[in-house]
Order: sequence, then C-alpha cells, then structure tokens
Amino acid sequence: MIEGRGITKTFGKSVKALRGVDFAIPRGGAVSFIGESGCGKTTLGRILAGLESYDGGQLLRDGKTLKGGEFRRIQLIHQDPYSALNPTRTVESTLRDPLRLRAKQTGRGEAWISSRVEQLLSLVGLNPGYVLERYPHQLSGGMRQRVVVARALTVDPEVLVADEAVSMIDVSLRLGILGLLRSLRETLGVSVLFITHDVATARYVGVEGELYVIYRGAVVERGPVETVLTDPVHPYTQCLLSAIPVLHGLEKPGPDRLVPSEPLDERTDPPGCLFAPRCPFANPVCVEQPPPLGRLGHTPQDHACLFPASRHVVAVPLG
Amino acid sequence: MSIVEIWPTVTAAPGVAIEELTIAYGGLPAVANVSLELKPGTITGLVGESGSGKSTLALSLLGAVTKPGKVTRGKVVIDGIGDVTKLGAEELRRVRGSKIGYVFQAAQNSLNPLKTVGKQLLDLGKAHGVKDLREAHPLLERMGLNADRVLKSYQHELSGGMRQRVGIMFALVLNAHVLVLDEPTTALDMITQANILQIVRDIQRDRHLTTLIVTHDVGVVAEVAQRIAVMYGGRIVEQGDARRVIAEPKHPYTRALINAIPRLTGDVDAAKPLPGTPPTLGTIPLAGCVFRERCPLRMEICDTVEPVAVGGVACHAVNKGDTP
Repeated sequence: MIEGRGITKTFGKSVKALRGVDFAIPRGGAVSFIGESGCGKTTLGRILAGLESYDGGQLLRDGKTLKGGEFRRIQLIHQDPYSALNPTRTVESTLRDPLRLRAKQTGRGEAWISSRVEQLLSLVGLNPGYVLERYPHQLSGGMRQRVVVARALTVDPEVLVADEAVSMIDVSLRLGILGLLRSLRETLGVSVLFITHDVATARYVGVEGELYVIYRGAVVERGPVETVLTDPVHPYTQCLLSAIPVLHGLEKPGPDRLVPSEPLDERTDPPGCLFAPRCPFANPVCVEQPPPLGRLGHTPQDHACLFPASRHVVAVPLG
Repeated sequence: MSIVEIWPTVTAAPGVAIEELTIAYGGLPAVANVSLELKPGTITGLVGESGSGKSTLALSLLGAVTKPGKVTRGKVVIDGIGDVTKLGAEELRRVRGSKIGYVFQAAQNSLNPLKTVGKQLLDLGKAHGVKDLREAHPLLERMGLNADRVLKSYQHELSGGMRQRVGIMFALVLNAHVLVLDEPTTALDMITQANILQIVRDIQRDRHLTTLIVTHDVGVVAEVAQRIAVMYGGRIVEQGDARRVIAEPKHPYTRALINAIPRLTGDVDAAKPLPGTPPTLGTIPLAGCVFRERCPLRMEICDTVEPVAVGGVACHAVNKGDTP
C-alpha cells in the first residue's frame, strides 16, 4: 500500500499546486485522479514517481516513509510514448538494459534476461518476433505505449502511474492499452494510478477502484468509481461529468445535466470554497467558509461541499 | 472585374459537394475516390484515426493540399465559388478566409506570438482589402469573451479555450459561410470542450454556416453534427445521419469504433477493443477493401475488389446482405 498524507506543493512563491492531498493506493488496486488541466493531478503523479519534490506531507509505503530507492517501484507511463523511448535503440535494447541490472543484483545470466524480455513483451500483448529488432518509429502508437509499459515492468513495480496514457493513441487502439493496464492489476497485482481528464477511461481501468476529483490542488470528491459517477454530490464533479459528450443516438443527457462554466482567473484564493466563484449553486456561506473533506449529509463518499446534493448528470443509455 | 464582385452575396448557407476526389502523395492515395456532400446549413462530422486522410480531405476544401500531395482526380464544388481544385493561387488566396473559414488543428498554437490578436486581425483585413472589421467584436462577445481585452492580448495571455475562440473569430470575421474545424477540441479540457462545442452549435445556427468538423472523437460528432462521415485508409467507409449511424452503425469499422468507446454507465465490459492497427499511407492496401485486415466479416472478394458505397456504406458483406 502506497499512501500520501497531506501532500503540499507550491511552485514559485504563490502557485499552490497541491494543498494537502491524502490518498491511498492499495496493492493491486486502482485509483484515478480526474480534473481539469492545472488542477495538480500530474504534479501529484510526478511526486509519487519521485520526479518532483514536495513541500509538506508524507509519502508512505506500508506505513513507513518511502525511501529513495523505493521510488523505483513506482513507474510513470506518460502521455507520449514516442518521446518516452530512445529513438536510436531497438525494443530489445530498451528492455535488456534495465533487466541486465536486475540480473546482476540477483545473480542471473543472459539466458534469464532473454527469456524475461520475451515474457514481458508477450505480457503486454506484443509479438516478440516482430518487435524485438524494431525501433520506436517502426511501431504504431499503441505498440510503443505497450513497449513503455513492458519497460516499466522490468523493475517489478508496485505501482504504475499512467498520466493521460492513451490521449495520444489512436481511438481504435486505446481500449487495448486500457485493458492491458487493467489486466496487469489482475495478473501481476500491480496497482494503477490513472491520471486523466477522460472520466470514461478512468472507469474502464479503475473497475472497483476509487475516483478522486481534484480541483485547484485539493480533493473535492472521493469514493468508489461507480458511486461518484452515478451519484456525484459535489457541484464540481457534476460540472465535469456534465461536460462529457453525450452519444446522441445511443444515449440521452442526464436529467440534471449542468452547463459548466470555464475556469476563471485562478490567481486569487477566495477565503471559503475554492470552487464557489464558478459554482452554479454557491450561496453566501460558501464564499466565507472553507468546506472540509468529509461525509457531511451522510453521503457514501467523501466530498468537500457544504451543501451536497445528488444530481444525475451522466448520460443515460437509450432503450 | 475582380472575382469578389461577381460572387453574389451569400444569404443562405452554401452547399459543398466533394466528388470522386483522389489526393495522392507521391502516387500513394491519402484520399481515394471520396464523394461527400455537405448540405447547406448543416454540421457534418468527419471521423477518422490518424492517417485516415481526414485532415487532407478537409484541407482540400481550402485548395490547400501541399506538395508532394496532389489532387489527381475529382472536384470540390462550393456554391458561389465553384470547383476549388481549379482555382489559381490568387483566387484561392481571396476565397480563403473570406468565403471559407478554417480553424486549424491546434488553433491555440497557430496565432502569431509576437503580435496582439488585434494586430493580427488588422493584417487579415489588409490581406483581403477589408477595412471594416467591427464584426470581430460581437463575434468574440458572442463566444463569451471580453472583446476589448482579447484584441489587446498576445496569445500567451489567453487560455487554450480563449485561443480556440480567437481562431473561430478569425475564421468567421470576414463573413465566411463555409467553416472547417480541424480537431477543434483535441488539446482542451472536457469543460472547455463542452463550451467550444456549444459555440460551434450556436454560431452555425446564427450565421447560416455549412460546417465540417474533423475529429477522432465520435462523442464530439454526436454532440454537434447532423451528419457523419467515417474515414478509414483514405476512404469514406460510412456516411449518413449522425444519430442513425451512431445508433445503428453498419460498416464493421464504424461498429467496432463505436463499440470501443468506454462509457460512463452500463456494463463496463460492453466496450470491446478493436484488433490490429490502422494503416498508414505506406501500408494502405492498393487493391480490395482497406479494412479487411481487421474485419470480422472478411470475405474472399474483399482481397481483390474495393467495395462501392451503397446507401452510404462501403462494405461487401453489409451490402450483400442488403440486396439479396
């Protein structure tokens, strides 16, 4: 179990990227962070992967502070597989190097490395005979992303942090990658932290997992994926879900669908709820009083709203 | 007499007819024998993956297919302009912007970083000999922006959604009635995307536009378009009424594509991945059906004979079933 407690991060003097975020990623579980760009979800993923420092709070692994070398067990898979792979290296060489280090540490030989390379490629759904000798530019976007996943798996990670991992992949290939991330949870017990603004993909990867909705560096709603999607209580979550295109012909808009407003100038912090200036339901109290993350109103999920109300904003299938 | 004078003032939205259009890059067709009609006053969604030829097809409306690409066959006829593929460089320069508005992919990056939006607007007016650019104001305000502020801004001072709106303003300020939007929401957040799509809908209705929206996202088409055309390997494999095609896709590619969209409700495993990889320009088969490698309905004839569209669907298997 990897946990974060009260993680804060400020860029420069005043840009509060994270305002004390708590999260827990159980082994083999899935946690998704959703929110608009600039909400801090990527920063949080990078902090977890050891690529970014944080100002306050704690990162824990099984209750103990996460130490330098352990960050290797948390691997980042980012948006663009093309820039994540060395263009001058074949797939084989990309995978062999980290495995060689591993082999040295465990006293195994070249034969183990070769069999492990093939094993990992098969695991991510690639044909070793086809891809081993190839360079990244000779592969499709989907194949490249699978190579990136295979490379991450060479170090036997506990957590894969997938940051918008399919947004640059062709639509017909996306589901395959999402399915791969999901199956790795089952076959290897790897946990997945899925960071995205595309809620439907988060639902697909994060079956039985938790959804965190992040707004301006703070978690505003948190709970089991299905609960948050079908019964969101925070107006920001409701705006976010209302913005998802309705597949007219197959679906009709949810009965309570909102018309969300775009981000405002976010350089100033209101004293109360950060979302109040954009909130369609804000009242004078909201502007004054910061809402704590909790279960006010006996909701099944955590939320940070003084006036939680369930609204059905997600599209409803026809027929 | 300049061409601008002989064109009648457009009062109704113009129609666009793309007829048997082939655009090749060094002998390889990126768009092959495509026929597509954009009915006046409608929004048509052109859906395809990377390499499907959708952007090349969209550029042909501007007559902007660049070398080594070449229109080798067919026509693009726009009401009030004529066949765009036959226009010379100067005529093209005049119609671009004034008759056909184009919002480029990543419009948020297509602004000049060294000039304010207002200065770029004046440049546009100068290029077309138009002095009265007051239209920019109501256009920007209509899209929910503070026009005075935006015109004084440099692109880095605007958010992605604001830049996209500025792109739409540039496309329409000279009163163009054909609007092409190439991936207008790809780099944007969900909420910004929803707002831009609302603008596309409103503006299309207010200004009598004929709109083509190019995207990889079926959801975007479902939200705004009346018609849909699905491209694969340089061909339009299916076209028709957007809601009907989304509800009952006939071509196996359209079916698989819609089936591969993860949804927010219902059985999470109802979404099924599509096997294989979309072809690139170099790997599009030269004979037979372009989709056969990934097709569950593949037959012998698909290897050799390219299917012709019947009722908007170009598939041997589907069309055999239709005409017993």
